[in-house]
This record gives sequence, C-alpha cells and structure tokens, in this order.
Amino acid sequence: MIKKLNNNINFFKTLLYISAFFILLLGALSYRSVSDLTKSGELVTHTYRINVELEQILSYLKDAETGHRGFLVTKDSVFLEPYLNSRERINNNFAELKSLTSDNPTYQSNLKNLNSLINNRLETFKTTLEYENPEDYFDSVKFSNELKKGQKEMDTIRNHINNMIYLENQLLEKRKLDYQSNLVATPLLLFTLLLLTLAIMFLAYLKISKNMKKLNEANESLELFKESANQSEIVSKHGNWTWHVDGNTFNYSDNLYRLLGEQPQSFEPTLENFKQFVHPEDVEQFAHQIEQMMKNVDLPYIYYRVIHKNGTIKHLKAYGKSIVNDDNELILIGTTADITDEITSYKALEERNTELERSNKELSSFNHVASHDLQEPLRKIQTFLSRLEEEEDKLSERGVKYIDRIQNAATRMRVLIDDLLQFSRSNKADKVFEDSNINLLLEAAKQDLAEVISEENVVIKADTFPTIRVIPFQIQQLFVNIIGNAIKYKSKDRIPKISITHQIVDASEDENLNKAKKPFYHKIMFKDNGIGFDNQYAEQIFTLFSRLHNKEEYSGTGIGLSICKKITDNHKGFIKALGTPGKGATFIVYLPID
Amino acid sequence: MQEDYINIALADDDEDDRMFFTDAFEDLKIKSKVNTFNDGVYLMDYLNSEDALLPNVLFLDLNMPRKSGLECLKEIKQNPKFKDIAIAIYSTSASEEDIENTFVQGANIYIKKPSDFKTLKKVLSDVVTINWQYHTNNMNKDNFLLRF
Repeated sequence: MIKKLNNNINFFKTLLYISAFFILLLGALSYRSVSDLTKSGELVTHTYRINVELEQILSYLKDAETGHRGFLVTKDSVFLEPYLNSRERINNNFAELKSLTSDNPTYQSNLKNLNSLINNRLETFKTTLEYENPEDYFDSVKFSNELKKGQKEMDTIRNHINNMIYLENQLLEKRKLDYQSNLVATPLLLFTLLLLTLAIMFLAYLKISKNMKKLNEANESLELFKESANQSEIVSKHGNWTWHVDGNTFNYSDNLYRLLGEQPQSFEPTLENFKQFVHPEDVEQFAHQIEQMMKNVDLPYIYYRVIHKNGTIKHLKAYGKSIVNDDNELILIGTTADITDEITSYKALEERNTELERSNKELSSFNHVASHDLQEPLRKIQTFLSRLEEEEDKLSERGVKYIDRIQNAATRMRVLIDDLLQFSRSNKADKVFEDSNINLLLEAAKQDLAEVISEENVVIKADTFPTIRVIPFQIQQLFVNIIGNAIKYKSKDRIPKISITHQIVDASEDENLNKAKKPFYHKIMFKDNGIGFDNQYAEQIFTLFSRLHNKEEYSGTGIGLSICKKITDNHKGFIKALGTPGKGATFIVYLPID
Repeated sequence: MQEDYINIALADDDEDDRMFFTDAFEDLKIKSKVNTFNDGVYLMDYLNSEDALLPNVLFLDLNMPRKSGLECLKEIKQNPKFKDIAIAIYSTSASEEDIENTFVQGANIYIKKPSDFKTLKKVLSDVVTINWQYHTNNMNKDNFLLRF
C-alpha cells in the first residue's frame, strides 16, 4: 500500500512538472507573440515615417520650385524664401532618414543618390537665379534649356523618391507577411497548449480523486484492523507498546493499560509511570532488562510481576525488538502478555506432578517391600522346610505330604514375588536407550533359559537382527519372557520349535499398526508350535495376573506377558498375539524406527 | 591365628540367618572358627579392638540397623590393617544397585542367601575354600555375583 502511494506521489509530481513546463511555455509564447505584434506595429510606423520624410523632401523641393518660379516672374525676393529654406529643411529630413535607415545599406546608398540629385536640382535653381532681368532670360534659349533641365531633374527626383517609397512599402509588406504567419500560428499553439494543460490537470484530478477513494478505503480497513487488533489484544491478554528511544516518548495500546488494571490511556505513557506498577522484587531486574533491550537487537522474553492498584498480582511476559526507522531513529517495538493463567496452571501441573512423583515413589517402595521384604520370611520358610525334609524319617507319611504341599506353595510364592519384582523394574523411570546388538540380547536371553531349553530340547531358529535403539535389559527380558512362555505352553506331543523372524514394515500397510506414530517399524515375530490359544483371548493375555490355564496344569503367574506389554509400551511399540488352539501361538513385537 | 583353622565372621541382624550360618558350618567338615555379630557396630568394634582375631573371610549382610553392611565395607577397605580380609556380601536381595555399589567398594563376592539348606551349605563351603588370591586377580563384574 505504502509503495503504491509512493508511486502515485511520483506520478503526481511528474504531472505537476509537465503542467508547469506547459504553463512556462505558454508564457514564453505569449510574450513572443506580443513582442512580435509590437515590432510589427513599429515597423509600419517606421516605414510611414520614412515615407513621410521622403514626401516632405519632395514637397520642399516643390515649394522651392514654386517659389523659384514666382521669383523669376516677379523678381520679388519674398518668393525666394521657400527656396532659401529648402536646403536646411531637406537636410533635416535627410538626417532623420539617415538615422531611420542606418541598418539598411541599400537604403543609405539610395539616400546618397537622392542627395546628389537634389544637390543638382538646387544647383540648377541657382544658375537660373543669376539672371537679373526677366527680359534677359524669358526669350533666352539657354534659360529655357536650364528650366527644362530643372524640370527633368525634378522628374528624376520624383521617380527616385517614388521608387524608394515603393521599395520601403515592399519591405514592409514582406515583413508584415513574416509576422502575419507568426501571428496566425501562435494563438493556435497557445490554445492547444492550454487545452493540453487543462487535460493534464483534469487527468491529475481524476487520479487524485480515485486515490483519495482508495486511501479512504485503506483508512477504513486500517480502522477495522485496529479495532480487531484491539479485540485480539483483549482476548489473548496482551498489549503493545512502542518506545521512541531518542525522544523518549512512548505509545501504549489500550489493552496494555488494562493489563495494569487501569483504564485505557488513563496516565501518561512513560517508563517511570510503568515502573510504578512493577512488583518491588522485580523492579531492579526489570530495569536491567530494559537497558539490555536498548543494546541488543533481539532479546529473550523478560518476565516480571505487576501489582494492580487493588492489590492483584499479575505475571507478565514481554518481548521487545529494536528497529531503526527511515529518519535513523531508534524505536523499540514490544509486546507484553499476561501469563498469570499459564503460570497458575503450570503451578497446578507442577503440584500434580510432584504428587504423582510422590505416589510413584510410594508405589516403588511398595514394590520394594513386596519383593524384598516378603522374600526374606519366604526364604526362611523354605530353608526351614529344607531342614525339615532332612528329618523326614521322623515324620508320618501325612506329615511328609504336607511338607511337600507347603514347599509347592512357597515355591509358587517365590515365582510370584520374582515376577512382581521384574514387573516393577520394567516400570522404572530411568530407561536408557542404546543402539543395541539385538542378536547378542537374544543370545543372552537364551543363556538365561539355557537349562529349560536343553531339558526340553527346544529348537530356536532366528533371523539376524539389525542394530536397534532399545533399552537393552528390557528387550532381553522381553525375549526371555516370550521364549519362556512358548516353552511353558509347549505341546506334549512334539518338540518345541520357535522361529523368530525380523522385517521392516510400513506402518500404513500393517493392520496392527493403525495407531502407529512413526512411518516404519521393526516387526519381530515369535512363532511356536505349542498349545496355542483361542484368539478371543488375544487381548486379555497381556493384562496383569490374567491366566488362561489352571495353575495345576501350567505354572504361569499371569505377569510375564504383562511385562512384555509394559516393555513394548516403554519403547513406544506394540505387541500382538495370535493363537490357534492346538497348533501354536504367534507373538508379534513392533518397535518404532526413528 | 592358628594355621589349620579358617577364621570366618558373619555380621547379620537376623537371628535365624545367624543360626542357619553356624549350623551349616557345624555340618560342614571344614576346620573353621565362626564368629557372628548382631550388627555392623558390633562387628567394627570387634575388628578395631587390639586383640581382635581378624577373619579370613567376612560375610556381610547389607540391611542391618545402626551400621549397614555397605558402611562396614567402606570402613574396612579404607583401613590397610584389614587388607587381607576377603569380603563376601551375604544378602537376601540381589538388586543391580546393591551389586554395583558393593562391587565398586571392593567386595570380593556377592552371595544371594539361598532358600535351601543344602544349597546354603554348598555355597558356604565353596566360598570359604576359594583361593582368594586367584579369585581376586580374575575378578570382574560378571563373576562377582555367585551363581548357584
């Protein structure tokens, strides 16, 4: 928007320059036109003055001629006066003419010719005046000739002057023509320019009014935006501020005042006024952090408390960023948010966590008591029983049988306690994931079960596993429990065979992985040829203490598979069981690939 | 110290266990002298006394009132006077933590109390007849816990 406005401003500037140029041009042209007109008038006057001077010269000569004839007739010297004055008058006219035509050499030479002609004429006058008596010259041929000569000279002068007037008039006509063309063209040009300027101005006006409309619209949406920003500040409990560091002036948004428990714009926004709300314990740190803010471009969040006038304490979190504007002024722009609710719920969460930790500890110590302290009396019962057995010969048959029963019960209790201990261990919080050689873990598990494996001649066939990131002892436990389970529930008719296979599966293509969080999983499948189970119990067998068989038949505690479930949960994996009664069971363990 | 007797000591607060222990040695055909102590304080008082007959093998229960087996182990290992005593931890439980701690503190072997008198006799017989010199040189965390 701002860029667009700048573009528009540039456009208007250009228009203004063009208009100014046109107006200047108009002025210049008008000036030239007026001065042309003046010149043209002056030229006409000039020509007329020249012509008048010439006519006057002719007229003086004629006067001289008339006077001269009068004198010749009357011999009265009164008639001679025009003749005597004529030379001086003509000289005046000549002087005038010379100055009028100083720029025209042709005219000057014409004038020179005229002068000599006039001189000749006047000379001729003079000669005829030398006769004393009219009788002397009336009949004289010489005199008549001289008069004729004078007549002739007079004609020549007249012709010459007429010629000169003619030439001057022609020059005038020519000049008039030159100016005329200018005078016709100039108004047209002026008019066109005027129209053009008007058009440009009209264009500018149209554009300006269009821009004004746009600006109004932009203003309106800015107002709307401001309003919605105000609303969002209220809803999300934050306020904005700007700080012109150089002038030390502040701007607080309305909601910033509300965060302080005040009415919008109810006090002057200054750092000092703001500090008055900051909790006394936080004020020093707050001031320090503000200082830091001015030095650095970006800062981490700062946290402090404020106290409202009614005593309410609020927790605020602020973030500031410094920018330098076009005028090279440092401005801090910041956002302050009320995080009291977050802190309250965080505290509640923390309390709940502490509580949970405490109850976990209690549970853990209960596990310890159950597993450790219960073991001790049990061990003693068993030891005493073993010593009683040494004295079997002193007991009745029934007594021996009872001791045997007690021994069985005690053994079962030991298994239960051991399993429970294991279960509680799989619950422990300190789980350390390591990139582990699964093949070695399987070997170790087989080692743990070595006795029973050799007793039952169990055949175990396993794929080679890749390295997987697991909690090693737990995965070993998982192998022990699943293999042990397969052996425990072996078919009486055949040698137990267990095949363990590994493959990597795409979670989207495995129906057991519809709750998967990762795209790929290790799929480890344990398949046995034991007694199997009905698939309707496939989920149930993983719950604690759940057993599908009578304990006289099979000695399970119902804990082993729960531990397996717990271990796969710890690894964010899954465990599934499939059974076919009489044929065998399959356990599938899925471990996520990171 | 008489050459043909093995001096054996046990610190255990449990009366029954002390009884099993002494009964087992009575049954065994090993020339031995067995001293039992009711807790760690009695044991350390005896060991630190001037005329104490230092045992060849000391069996230490871990959970005892007043002074635990682990505390006794630390004190004994800090005193050069007791450097020749072989120490067998003798406890009901065999938690990873207990095994780790006692191994680090320098115990020689870890025995989980058997729940069968015959096994008990066998274990005790094995332990007191171990060539400790040899066992100590080859000791590692894997053979630290006695398997039976």
